[in-house]
Amino acid sequence: MDRTERLLDLVALLLDAHEPVSWAELKESFPEDYGSGSDEATERKFERDKAELLELGIPLTYVQGDEDRKDGYLLDRNAYYLPEPGFTPEEMAVLYAAGSAVLASGAFPGRHDLQHALRKIGFFAGGQLATPRVRMELGAVRESAAVPEHLETLWSAASARKWVELVYASPKRPDPSTRKVDPYGLVLRRGVWSLVGYCHLRQGLRTFHVHRIRSLKMNPSKPRTHDFEVPEDFAIDTHVPHAPWQWGIEPPVEVRLELRGPLASQAGAHFPDARVERSGDRTEVVLTVTLLDALLKHVLALFPQARVTAPESARSRFRALAEAVAAKHGARA
Amino acid sequence: MSDVHERLRRLLFVVPYVARHRGVTVDALAKQLGVSREELLRDLELLTMVGRPPFQPDDFIDLHVENDQVWVDLDQRFSKPPRLTGPEAAALAASAELLRPAAQTALASALGKLEKILPAGAKKMYRELGSAVNARSQAPEALGILTRAVEERRELEFDYAGSGKAAAEKRRVEPAEAFNHRGLWYLHGWDLDRGSERLFRLDRMTGIVLTDRRFSPRSMPPARVPDPAERGEVRVRFTAQSAPYLRERFGGEARELTDGGVEVKVIGDERWLVQWILSFGGEAEVVEPAWAREAVSRAALGALEGTR
Repeated sequence: MDRTERLLDLVALLLDAHEPVSWAELKESFPEDYGSGSDEATERKFERDKAELLELGIPLTYVQGDEDRKDGYLLDRNAYYLPEPGFTPEEMAVLYAAGSAVLASGAFPGRHDLQHALRKIGFFAGGQLATPRVRMELGAVRESAAVPEHLETLWSAASARKWVELVYASPKRPDPSTRKVDPYGLVLRRGVWSLVGYCHLRQGLRTFHVHRIRSLKMNPSKPRTHDFEVPEDFAIDTHVPHAPWQWGIEPPVEVRLELRGPLASQAGAHFPDARVERSGDRTEVVLTVTLLDALLKHVLALFPQARVTAPESARSRFRALAEAVAAKHGARA
Repeated sequence: MSDVHERLRRLLFVVPYVARHRGVTVDALAKQLGVSREELLRDLELLTMVGRPPFQPDDFIDLHVENDQVWVDLDQRFSKPPRLTGPEAAALAASAELLRPAAQTALASALGKLEKILPAGAKKMYRELGSAVNARSQAPEALGILTRAVEERRELEFDYAGSGKAAAEKRRVEPAEAFNHRGLWYLHGWDLDRGSERLFRLDRMTGIVLTDRRFSPRSMPPARVPDPAERGEVRVRFTAQSAPYLRERFGGEARELTDGGVEVKVIGDERWLVQWILSFGGEAEVVEPAWAREAVSRAALGALEGTR
């Protein structure tokens, strides 16, 4: 019998049963599948089927019998059926808007799971689902055709806690390297996905841009056994900075910027991790910087709405960068 | 994800769905399930063979296709789909993060209700996997007003700091769509004062007012944010040091130079171009046209003067 068919039959049988179904009964009900062959082989087959059903969220348990009932497998109907979630139209709209925008965008981890989730929460809503008025365009690089597929593999590996082996092409190195990584999580910043995980080669936490992964495979052995556990104190958002000047390359320096015009009123949104100081008409932000050039280049592009006010070392480096651009374009300061 | 897993998940949803939407057409059902018509017909055929042992005629799921419509006799066993799995709920929550904080209140309460209907065994996985994906796009609070304006077809007024102007200008706009492009939020709409369609960056909009003036939507193709990696008239050279990043972004469009650098051709939007070149701090040089070289040199000198 086809495995999908057998599993569905099993669910149908258990959903109907009003008392535990014993192993002997299962063997009798599925003579070709569980009834023939060695005990060991048929039990293993059933264990695999059971694991598959548990993964689908089907609440299958084995109960020890007593005087009133026999031993056997039981499916808790109350725990099986999806209850009405009772979302308000607004809540439903948010979940739908985000979920369908993400599906349309093409590159988001867990797309299959998301599709099933949207269908399930829409089950009770009838045809009243609003079409979302937001759209997501993700991906900031050309050669990113493999990104959706890699995200899907990383999602599966993160949920099954299996290590992955990846071939990584960093722009800083001439040749790609092969790494074994325990995938702890995925972060999206400015349209770029990063993988954060434990790198076996470097023996520490590392961040990888998903679009730089040339090939990727998940450890195929023992799919239901965890290869690793994520440390309790791991927090994904502390590993991928919001801005390139937070990459942790240099010792931290406090840099002060003055913002003018429209940028002044959006100081907090533009520099989310900065301290904003306002006095009178003057708006300043103070940032902790671990890659000074990255910030200065950003400020250069924002000029005259942003300028560096302190420290003097940052101001002089800023002037050097501006001078370099001017010199390249034939200007003499 | 194995094929069996995927198919089983789909089939456990099909029966309750058809029971609720009796006579749904094959095409509509295929679309709802995200599969091809052929795949769905194979699924439905398999379902007619599903039943409970001992497989007497009454033990089968009574499902049939007639005149291209799908019917199922009410089957108590499969009256509702199974609950969400941990990964399903986590994927939903991760995607919803994209709209935070714009939809903070509704989002928080929706996620609370979502967690309540999860099976006990799925909650741990939901929390762990949910926190393994971080996709916050810093959706501005204003997004809520904008999407409402689009839905209710109401004109918007706001101050906009665009096109290199020092001060913000008042705009009156018929909003068509809000969208996120590479992490930035945009509003596409019809600018009533300029009489043309425009693209606005949400982070440059302030003082947004949702008016009571209604409009009938104009037919406009979806907006596109200009992609600098598209061929344009401006030739830019990059040093060997920054070349790997350009190769990554421009792919085959980046032409190799003998000194290890690369040359690309980009579109000539002055404001964008100047900012882009400046952001490389001396690693990039505009080769031609002359107006673009001059614009960059002017901006660089301005920054230099302003930081004496």
